[in-house]
Amino acid sequence: MGKASRPRRGAKRARPAASGRRTIGAPTRPTTPAKTYTSKPVSVEFAGPSHRFQWADLEILGIDHSEASYEGRVFLNNPKADAKTPRTIDHGYAGSFYIFGHGGCFGDVGHCEVNGHRDAYDFRDSHPLVPTRARVPVTDTLRQLAKTSSEVTITVVPVVTGATELCNTTDVFRFERMRFLTYNP
Amino acid sequence: MADLRIRPGVHNMSSAEVSAFRDAYSQMMAITDNRSYGFFAGLHGVPGGFCKHSTQSAPAFLFLPWHRAYLYNFELAARDRVSSVTLPWWDWTLRPPRQDGIPKSFADRVVDGNKPNPLFSYRIDLANPPIHQSTRREPGPVDDLPTQAEVEDVLGNADWTDFTLALEGQLHNRVHGWTGGHMGVVAVAAFDPIFWSHHCMVDRLWWMWQVRNGNGNFPTDLLDTVLAPFNMRVRDVLSVNDLGYDYAAAQTVVPI
Repeated sequence: MGKASRPRRGAKRARPAASGRRTIGAPTRPTTPAKTYTSKPVSVEFAGPSHRFQWADLEILGIDHSEASYEGRVFLNNPKADAKTPRTIDHGYAGSFYIFGHGGCFGDVGHCEVNGHRDAYDFRDSHPLVPTRARVPVTDTLRQLAKTSSEVTITVVPVVTGATELCNTTDVFRFERMRFLTYNP
Repeated sequence: MADLRIRPGVHNMSSAEVSAFRDAYSQMMAITDNRSYGFFAGLHGVPGGFCKHSTQSAPAFLFLPWHRAYLYNFELAARDRVSSVTLPWWDWTLRPPRQDGIPKSFADRVVDGNKPNPLFSYRIDLANPPIHQSTRREPGPVDDLPTQAEVEDVLGNADWTDFTLALEGQLHNRVHGWTGGHMGVVAVAAFDPIFWSHHCMVDRLWWMWQVRNGNGNFPTDLLDTVLAPFNMRVRDVLSVNDLGYDYAAAQTVVPI
């Protein structure tokens, strides 16, 4: 897992909670673009003309959802894609996933730290910020690109839909790993 | 056996039904105890923190059951105010001229001349965390809402896990983000009055899936899981009919 992709649990600690905290403002839809992510090239020989598959998904695991909400637009072989890029196969658009973020840490220090040190006698619910996952069907775009390319890059353009002042609205898309999954007829 | 109450589509409500619905919300917003609008809204994110959303572990399976119990308890509290009320569902797939994104009954700022519309906004006043503001929305373009074809795709998942993750991730999360403002983040989403009708649509889609698939391969080891803070287990909420309601488009009683 690369440093850039490492989730930061409850990353932005707002201000010390205690009496005298100032009021937290209303959530907004930021206008400043968030940082896009582009993978290293990955072989798509598995999707080439000699390989049959019925459909293909891109699965993203370990997604942090502690802060802003966003649409993650997935583009293949289009590292320059941004929020204004048309969502069409011609531009490498494969699909979107949607993260409903918690909006940052509204609690005291440590409130949003995921507790990973639990034993067999701890029957409490798991922490609500255990990372989530997403699946994006990429069949058509992948099939199209695999006709002419042996490798593709994956670009995720996060378009933030909701955030509070407690959120990092630049480094939005944080995950642990991703993989293509293809299924045969 | 008592008749089932039918939860209506927002777009199909009569003006009298909308008035009764607004009256129930107004009354709940005017009180501050554990029957109030603020009490129920605060159970979801701040300050209660009881909601269940997707993760890579078991709570992913509790997203739908927990929110069904949540709506059920909220609806009963609303019916304690105005007994004829049932929660209406917001059909996000409708497009103009039938519906222009946010349904008009929720989008109008004022009603009956100059009275604030309780379906438009709610005033949050929390001491800890300190939040003192009225809810607002920043809806996106109407064409970015889910289409009927996309809903059918999600309903077409025969596997329970695939279905619940798709319903939550591809439809539910998307509409929260589309609505924006307070609906856009987990912590305060339930304070927006449209939250309940959004989730009513999610609950309806789950019921439609259940009508087609039964309970599928829902994990049986979760059936006795308690849906805190409600006095209900997962098995108690699997049938909406057992909870006294349905989403059928029409109910015609046949004389016998």
